[in-house]
Amino acid sequence: MTEKTILEIAGLYKRFGAFTALHSIDLEVYEGEFLTIVGPSGSGKTTLIRLFVGMDEPTDGTIWLRGRRIDTVPANQRPTCMVFQSLALFPHMTVGRNIEFPLKISGVDAATRRQRALDLLDLLHLPREYYDKRIHQCSGGERQRVALARALAFDPEILFFDEPLSALDYRLRKTLEKELKDLHARTGKTFVYITHSLEEAMVMSDRIAIMRAGRFEQIGPADEIYSRPASRFVAEFMGEVNLFPVQADDDGAVRADGLALDPGVAERLGLKAGAAGMLMVRPENVTMVNGSGAAEPGPAPEITVGGHLRAEYNLGSRLQYEVEGPSGQRLTVETLREGRFGGSPGDAVTLGWTLDRCHLIHGE
Amino acid sequence: MKPSGLSRAGLLLYGILTLAFLYLPLVAVAFASISKARYLSFPIRRYDTGWYAQAMASDTVRDLLLVSLKVAGIVTVISMVVGFFGALAFARYHWRFRGLFQKTILLPIFFPQTVLGLALLMWFNALGVVPSWHTAVVAHLVWISPIATLIIAIRAYSFDATLEEAARDMGCSTLQIFREITVPLLMPGVISAGLFAFLLSWGNFPLSLFTTGADSTLPEWLYAKMVAGYSPLVPTVGVLSVFASAALLGVALLAPSLVRLWRQRAAG
Amino acid sequence: MERLDRRLGALTATPMLVLLAVTFLAPLIVVAAFSVMPSKVFSLWHQPDFSAYAELLRQGYWKSLAWSLGMALASTAILLVLCWPLAFAMAKVYRRFTLILTVGVVMSLFVSENIRLFGWVLTLMKGGLIEGYVRHLTGVGFDSLLYNVPIIVFGLVYVYLPFMLFPLAQGISMVPDDARQAAADLGASRARILWEVEVPLAAPGIVVGCLLTFVLATGAVAESKLLGGQVVVVIADEVETAFTYGQDWPLGSALAMVLIAIVGTIAVIGVNRVDLDAIMGRRR
Repeated sequence: MTEKTILEIAGLYKRFGAFTALHSIDLEVYEGEFLTIVGPSGSGKTTLIRLFVGMDEPTDGTIWLRGRRIDTVPANQRPTCMVFQSLALFPHMTVGRNIEFPLKISGVDAATRRQRALDLLDLLHLPREYYDKRIHQCSGGERQRVALARALAFDPEILFFDEPLSALDYRLRKTLEKELKDLHARTGKTFVYITHSLEEAMVMSDRIAIMRAGRFEQIGPADEIYSRPASRFVAEFMGEVNLFPVQADDDGAVRADGLALDPGVAERLGLKAGAAGMLMVRPENVTMVNGSGAAEPGPAPEITVGGHLRAEYNLGSRLQYEVEGPSGQRLTVETLREGRFGGSPGDAVTLGWTLDRCHLIHGE
Repeated sequence: MKPSGLSRAGLLLYGILTLAFLYLPLVAVAFASISKARYLSFPIRRYDTGWYAQAMASDTVRDLLLVSLKVAGIVTVISMVVGFFGALAFARYHWRFRGLFQKTILLPIFFPQTVLGLALLMWFNALGVVPSWHTAVVAHLVWISPIATLIIAIRAYSFDATLEEAARDMGCSTLQIFREITVPLLMPGVISAGLFAFLLSWGNFPLSLFTTGADSTLPEWLYAKMVAGYSPLVPTVGVLSVFASAALLGVALLAPSLVRLWRQRAAG
Repeated sequence: MERLDRRLGALTATPMLVLLAVTFLAPLIVVAAFSVMPSKVFSLWHQPDFSAYAELLRQGYWKSLAWSLGMALASTAILLVLCWPLAFAMAKVYRRFTLILTVGVVMSLFVSENIRLFGWVLTLMKGGLIEGYVRHLTGVGFDSLLYNVPIIVFGLVYVYLPFMLFPLAQGISMVPDDARQAAADLGASRARILWEVEVPLAAPGIVVGCLLTFVLATGAVAESKLLGGQVVVVIADEVETAFTYGQDWPLGSALAMVLIAIVGTIAVIGVNRVDLDAIMGRRR
């Protein structure tokens, strides 16, 4: 990577009594990027972000910000700022005074403060009249923007977000996700965002870090995380997936239960002799045909598996099919509406895909 | 499971009767205070406000008012301050002895007040302090400042701790957080605690009984007269004391809307 | 933040703790010390003995104690029954009337206890509000309703009603409506819902209410003095008499110690059973 590192974390541990919330976390955050840390609840992501901004202290490990060690610096002296899940807007102050708050603390004079607050209202597409509004008079989305404006007024080196959109309804969340991405582009600041929602992460982020039980499972661009997951956990966390155990014997012969591989495909899987893995394919990359494999438009499938159609689900823009595989496992196939499959439940079907559409997860 | 209209009406009636039950004795006192007869007997035949004139003119009553006022005023200020900090320790901060602290605070509230007054009397005696209204302030504080703490604690519980964290994140020192966030947000609780403190001190007599020495508060004087025998001034002074607290309560309840009105005038 | 919390917690608790140490703990120690002094001394510089406690056993003080505890128990039980429907209505049925009732009850607390009890004397005495009007309207008079044991219990019920009502209402408001509705949906009768759902879930409020009422009523003195005349002498009255007319501080202290021990034990056991954070409305 040629990017400049702004935040560097090495060997970070956090223990609460006998419970270890974070196990030796290492991470580099690049200048100006939008990094999202995703994990299920209890994975340690909130603990991690609290260490970054100084709300809690790490049990072990170090954090550097632009080469300066900050893990021992108290929260109120760190040039970082966080947007809280609760937003933490001060209910006893107006919108304007909320936004001005960090400026007031750093001793900026009243006139400059006011001007800066009005500029920020503009930046966040809030009418200037909101300056005198009370927090409880603002809607959920407006509060969100006020919280952002306040954080930006602080002018932090890195802006942290602790699931600020989780309390909003679906449509507003979708709008604000895009606004946030847009704001990131316009301000050029480094954003570090945590969420349990993968969708949110995919929409906004340059890079995604997947967290599980106090460790990172994988860090990388969204596309890479989606199509080339490093582990079964990441594969399954990132939406519907079909997984097939594969194994290479000591002589290199590949055994894959129920899968029919075209000649030469086994060698190109990249499975070393004696190793095991999981072959992963996303539902939208699978094509399904009736019976034992009539010709389909498009590239011919290189890997196929037989099964029986169980059910069809309407997902709106797409259709999802549930298929019972050869060893009774549940497989899923998705197509656009236009590609509706004509069969009915109980039909024998064949699923197929090309090698470049699947991914081998090593291990297990 | 919605209660029927009938049981709803029954419960409403029950509530109204409860209030009537609570205030009935005060009605009797009020009637007695305007009876002309020296020896009270219902039904009252002739009404007269003479006892009020007499009570107002009385030096004794004025002294009693003054002592009660001084005690209640000082108790109010101290319990607001102590209660504010106490409530933070009670509800806001997670520290090691919080559970113990919470229970310790409750003990004086549970304690028999007469016994507490006597215990304080012996303690003052051991210290060589001569009891006066000053010592009554101390006695009231033992009981009232824990109550003030509880009232403010209720407010502190509904306080979102992330507000303080956010302020710290944006560069506030602990002192600035107090000034900018904690104090303004707990203020309504502190004010109601102050109101409670004043009114509870104003009406208290078991604690004053043994701790005022030569001085005497209103309730204490009333009690002495009641136990010693009927005085026609007792109902009158009683009603006056009730009116004084009702007036304070009225001002306190109306003040926020008056302030709002005044602000609107000033702004508009 | 945790470390700061810990430090600030101890720091903000300090004023209250200092206050209570000087004005609550120290006097209690003095009482304990006086209780082991020889009879009728007024300073602590004497050879300790337990003559006051021996005196306490010889005289019939246990009767006063029994009266206090008995009447406290009776008034607690009566209040629990009287206040339950009201508390339930406050928590679940009334809308605006809850506020009116709350303000009304709290305001009555601000009126000195003795003025309110005096009002009952004026109401219940011969020639009082009730008897006077009954005689006036019917021509038939009756004796004073005052000066008996039931009227003292009545006074206790009257004075300590708010101390039962508010904790109960708070406790009942902690019973989720869903739980009650689910029980009804599953076919539970009203009595079963009360016993199997409401009482267990409202338990913290019930414990606090009963505890407050019982403990305060045990130490009460004005009710028996003003309403009861001298029909029975309660324990707190004995303490007072020993100090004032008796001029026997060690005896008064010993009596106080007995009262403190009983009340304190009950209070500590009760307080340990409830989660104060939950009942006072913690958010997290």
